[in-house]
Amino acid sequence: MKELTTDHISQQFNLELETLRQHFLTMGGVVENQVSDSVQALLDSDGSLAEDVKDKDATVNQLDGLIDEECTRILARRQPAASDLRLIMSISKAVGELERMGDEAKKIASLTIALIEEGESPRGYVEINRIGQMVSSMVHDSLDAYARLDLDAAIKVAKRDRNVDMEYKTAIRSLVTYMMEDPRSITRVLNVIWVLRSLERIGDYARHICQHLVYMIKGVDVRHIPISEIDSEVK
Amino acid sequence: MSETKTHSIDISAMKRSQQALNIEDEKICLSVDDLHLYYGEKEALKGVNMIIPEKKVTAFIGPSGCGKSTLLRCFNRMNDLVDACRITGDINLHDTNIYQKGTDVAELRRRVGMVFQKPNPFPKSIYENVAYGLRIQGINKKRVLDETVEWALRSAALWDEVKDRLHESALGMSGGQQQRLVIARTVAVKPEVLLLDEPASALDPISTLKIEELIHELKNDFTIVIVTHNMQQAARVSDYTAFMYMGDLIEFGDTNTLFTNPEKKQTEDYITGRYG
Repeated sequence: MKELTTDHISQQFNLELETLRQHFLTMGGVVENQVSDSVQALLDSDGSLAEDVKDKDATVNQLDGLIDEECTRILARRQPAASDLRLIMSISKAVGELERMGDEAKKIASLTIALIEEGESPRGYVEINRIGQMVSSMVHDSLDAYARLDLDAAIKVAKRDRNVDMEYKTAIRSLVTYMMEDPRSITRVLNVIWVLRSLERIGDYARHICQHLVYMIKGVDVRHIPISEIDSEVK
Repeated sequence: MSETKTHSIDISAMKRSQQALNIEDEKICLSVDDLHLYYGEKEALKGVNMIIPEKKVTAFIGPSGCGKSTLLRCFNRMNDLVDACRITGDINLHDTNIYQKGTDVAELRRRVGMVFQKPNPFPKSIYENVAYGLRIQGINKKRVLDETVEWALRSAALWDEVKDRLHESALGMSGGQQQRLVIARTVAVKPEVLLLDEPASALDPISTLKIEELIHELKNDFTIVIVTHNMQQAARVSDYTAFMYMGDLIEFGDTNTLFTNPEKKQTEDYITGRYG
């Protein structure tokens, strides 16, 4: 992303784009921590870490507003074109995805607190651990691809969302079987399912971020085409 | 049970109305074929090939000295007036080569009118400025002149502002009004093509917007070619944009694509403000 924010005749414009980029990556860092911490808090039954995740939501919301404002200001004052325009549009959309990721992490933290209060019963935690790790690394790698403007990495990360969806379906199937065998567990297992659902959504948002990145680099909208066709569409 | 209302929305039609224009679907007004232009030893245009689509706005952008004004002037042979200017290659207006021997240049310039950066009204009344071209053609009937002057002033979105002072001097008008008067004078002789060389660069932002709105109206009747230093203006008014650099046509395409996802790195660098 570095080369996109240099080389303009206007140093001031370089600075504005660079600041926007920094703020976006900062927000990405906060959300990435929120996601991995929310899973960790649940696995460790760590209530204070869960509270910490919830508290970070305010920071994420502030950054969301700040970056939005910066994008609007640059559009109004600079009338960017071509790659500059795509950079602004793509960041402006990716910020929305990050904000929703943060909301899902906050939901997981709230569910964690509820699960801790209900007491120990690690049913479904294996699945949460596995999917949680998959999703956390997707979030990390999608932001990494953004920082390095790496088209191949973006497409690879987007494709990983399919594995998450598959794991999610398998987990739901086994948890449904479990609830049928032991109806007393339904309330508790539902909370676990909601955590899984949030993780699955976070995976979707990470995929969206990668799709916005593909638009930024190539100028091609790949949001609504099957993931298997992205390669041919881009090349 | 209440019947569910189905809203049928034709998305493909919505898309079509905004979709990138396709140069291959356009009727050709002017075609340029391997055009080279030399000022003495210096080659100012280095083999330009392009077409200007009919009843569309085509903008030329590029840094100073890239040849965009030179190319514009070729379309009505204004470069004939420059000493030591030599041209090879062809320009066809519809099916006639405008550089072939025996071309009536005065008639060519009626068919291909031109407006310059600085408004240049004649030191005559508003009415006489617009009627000038008609009088030269030998049209002197008052009724015909009156009708044409009103039509031309209306076309240039100036009628309402000047209808009560048609016989006052044109030099008393504001710069923006003068420029629209010049456009009225040009369209009065019913040309096919309007060449605009920086038509708004000497005007304030509001007058500029009026000219831009006028361009939008005029393309229903005329083919318009505009040279502008103001990139946002090109983006606002044109259907097609040509980017020129050092006498070469670097990229030519529909304006939506050129300003969001240009093909060439040079175009990208210029429109994002990266050129030295």
